[in-house]
Amino acid sequence: MVDLYSRRRMANRIVVSLSIGAALLGITWLVLILGQLLIEGFGALSLAVFTEMTPPPGSTGGLRNAIFGTAVMTSIAILLGTPIGILAGTYLAEYGRESKLAMVVRFINDVLLSAPSIVIGLFIYEMMVIHMGHFSAWAGAVALAVIVIPVVLRTTEDMLNLVPTGLREAATALGAPRYFVIRRVAYKAARNGIVTGILLAVARISGETAPLLFTALNNQFWSTDLNAPMANLPVVIFQFALSPYEDWRKLAWVGALLITMAILAVNIGARALAGRKAS
Amino acid sequence: MTVETLDPIAKQADTTMPPKVSIENLAFFYGESKALKNISLPLHDRKVTAFIGPSGCGKSTLLRILNRIYEMYPKQRAEGKVVVDGLNILDKGTDLNMLRAKIGMVFQKPTPFPMSIYENIAFGVRLYERLGKEEMDERVESALRKAALWEEVKNKLHSSGLGLSGGQQQRLCIARTVAVRPEIILLDEPCSALDPISTAKIEELIDELKDDYTIAIVTHNMQQAARTSDFTAFMYLGELIEFGETKQIFTHPGKQQTQDYITGRFG
Repeated sequence: MVDLYSRRRMANRIVVSLSIGAALLGITWLVLILGQLLIEGFGALSLAVFTEMTPPPGSTGGLRNAIFGTAVMTSIAILLGTPIGILAGTYLAEYGRESKLAMVVRFINDVLLSAPSIVIGLFIYEMMVIHMGHFSAWAGAVALAVIVIPVVLRTTEDMLNLVPTGLREAATALGAPRYFVIRRVAYKAARNGIVTGILLAVARISGETAPLLFTALNNQFWSTDLNAPMANLPVVIFQFALSPYEDWRKLAWVGALLITMAILAVNIGARALAGRKAS
Repeated sequence: MTVETLDPIAKQADTTMPPKVSIENLAFFYGESKALKNISLPLHDRKVTAFIGPSGCGKSTLLRILNRIYEMYPKQRAEGKVVVDGLNILDKGTDLNMLRAKIGMVFQKPTPFPMSIYENIAFGVRLYERLGKEEMDERVESALRKAALWEEVKNKLHSSGLGLSGGQQQRLCIARTVAVRPEIILLDEPCSALDPISTAKIEELIDELKDDYTIAIVTHNMQQAARTSDFTAFMYLGELIEFGETKQIFTHPGKQQTQDYITGRFG
């Protein structure tokens, strides 16, 4: 018996050491990546990044047009994708539940959730860019919206499912019609969770490169025209980082730093919100 | 023991008014399984009727038929008649929202909405009435007073209802129900999640409310049934075993099963 026990302790020690080792190995890469990013990024950061346009090779410049483009397209994508995601999530949680249609929608949504974003980029390229005859910020925003929908849909459904049945029964027992119960009680109870989902969608799309490469492409100049190609951080990073020009590569590091910081901030915001109790 | 006390119809003669609710040959199904069999009894106007019986006997199910809250779940259905003020509420044409505004319900677990105390009460009122600010303030106050909660919350009406204690939350739910001005109140084990002091408060409340409302209460607590009700129905395995005046049920029950249950020999 003692033998059995000491063998079990030994096995426990080995497995614990292995898992600690694996965790350290994983974190090491993250620390290295972040460290490199912080050193290179902060090293090249200057006010000009926010005030000047992306430069031609060999001259200095900033990322103003790219920062603007990313902000615009991310915002439009959220505005387009969020209502669809919330409505569809509400359908699944409140009306469809176990119906055939709901099962199919849920399955397709799961597929969409894990679909490679390059496929979504190609799809919008076929649907919009080819028909319009040129790349545009609209196409970029729509491609990003397609990524937003499944994220928001899933969190909305999950959060509504967490609303206690008792709360719905209580509101119904007061004589409230169903839509009213959903709008005034279920949404209210699930609000923080749903907002967290939207923030996570922001974090997800603000770093997407592939869908924009086929849709919004890039723009060297300041442009607010949604029907024209628009600069954006991920594609600028992609283009500049691979270039042989020192100035461009520096700007690529700054761009990467900005995106990482923005995503970090959004994630912290989402966590803080999710941790707070609905009141 | 005479034949008379066994007959629920004989007890009906005690009240001069026709019953507020008349349940006739009621059966209920969860999918294929039959949860209630052939239930018939009256709920007398402005009286408290208690439903007692062991877990799973169908007393909560019966209560959930009276406001048709079971309709929220697709596989549940009722057969028979429930006549309220002369109309069978199980008829297809019944407006469920109006029915539920007329027949309020308080649940076992307190269910305050995630909003302020004031909004919790205004919620139901706004569904059917357009009141000005002052009228609404008055309505909220009177509902909270009726639920014996006003003194405790009058200085924090705009803080969250979730911040109240369990007993206060349950009284908030009662206030919310009363604010809609229903005619009938259904209480589904309203005290089972509460401590004895809160329970005593709610029982006092029931005593006051019965001047204005017809009340049906489901309870596991025999003393509570004896203390608060005018009539008692004893149910077992989906059937109504005995119905009569509370005094008579607790002192001279007509059936052996009732006797066994109230004396704690089973259940």
